[in-house]
Amino acid sequence: MKFSDEMLMAYADGELDLVTRAEIESAMAADPELARAVERHRALAARLRAGYDGVLAEPVPERLAALVARPAAVPVADLAAKRAERPGARGRARLPQWAALAASVIVGVVVGVLLTRSPRPPYEDAGGALVARGALDAALSDQLAATSGESGVAIGITFRDRDGRFCRTFYMHRNAPVAGLACRGTQRWAIEVLAAAPPLQGELRPATAMPLPVLHVVDARMAGEPLDAAAEAAARNAGWRNPRSMAE
Amino acid sequence: MTTTSPDDEIRAALDDLLPRLRRFARVITRNVADADDLVQVAVEKALARAAQWRPGSRLDSWMFGIMKNAWIDEIRARRRRERVHAPEEAGANVGDASAAARDIALSVQAAVARLPEEQRMAIALVLVEGLSYKDAAETLGIPIGTLTSRLARGRTALQALLGDDGGSS
Repeated sequence: MKFSDEMLMAYADGELDLVTRAEIESAMAADPELARAVERHRALAARLRAGYDGVLAEPVPERLAALVARPAAVPVADLAAKRAERPGARGRARLPQWAALAASVIVGVVVGVLLTRSPRPPYEDAGGALVARGALDAALSDQLAATSGESGVAIGITFRDRDGRFCRTFYMHRNAPVAGLACRGTQRWAIEVLAAAPPLQGELRPATAMPLPVLHVVDARMAGEPLDAAAEAAARNAGWRNPRSMAE
Repeated sequence: MTTTSPDDEIRAALDDLLPRLRRFARVITRNVADADDLVQVAVEKALARAAQWRPGSRLDSWMFGIMKNAWIDEIRARRRRERVHAPEEAGANVGDASAAARDIALSVQAAVARLPEEQRMAIALVLVEGLSYKDAAETLGIPIGTLTSRLARGRTALQALLGDDGGSS
């Protein structure tokens, strides 16, 4: 009986069923050349393992161990990598920075705490939903990402969610800075997520300071690419209307 | 919280797996720096989508699949930037092994580095990481027949590069 080299390889790797295995073994007993071919496959496999086993004995670099150990250190690699490799998107330069910075962000404050801590929060409860008001509402409605303005609010990226709504990330400079994501309903900006943010340091742009929970929600909501500057301005000038609901 | 979250679970499992992830990365990227960068990217991705991993299922092949995809993306990006690392970088670091072991490691790694990408991945999963053909094929998203033919071609090339006896060169 003649066996292909692939079959001998599979035999050497322990991948064959009992019957075929027995056939090959009896053929090997009769044909030393066959036995040598199997031995070559096994020797090569052993040699390959030996060639790389040294890696297992190496100490794991600190940065990798730390990545696995620290719960707060999870950048949204997906998003960053995905956007980073596509040219043209405005998110391109920014998201990787977010991701890098997110690694140093400790998050822990929830909306309720934020609401009670701040005397006059720029958001309010509207029938169970949190909506923007005051400076935040104004910034979300009027401000473009490129202009940080005097409002105390910085706009990060703008994108469309899966329902076609416009959503924008924001960062508010305050004693306890917060960052979040707001999406435009029919009349107001609904706050989708809000989290404590790290204070801005030096030349860091506000958009780089997005905490992890915000990044996660952005990643989950975003349909397609972030808007570029022209599309962002056009959407603002059109009053952030969702084209899908306009069609109604 | 007092209970072990899925996130804690995956972190503990990843921690155990790191040496093997580094080894697999070393095979497919062919150099130390790229290998550890790849592990880092893959771990970040895995943690970001930890919910997709079912505790109890094989974490190693799941991670290898993430690494394979991340590496393919990286190669494509580099080709666009026209700076793919040359295979000569292979075996730049083989740890503190003895001289003899280092020689073997160097020759093996240099030979593996010369294989085409897809054969190298098949070799890495089956021969270095010890996955079954079935698990390796699933990890690579290819039929078993394709896996075995890549494996066979890779082996033939390695035999030729390393000496036909498969023993000492």
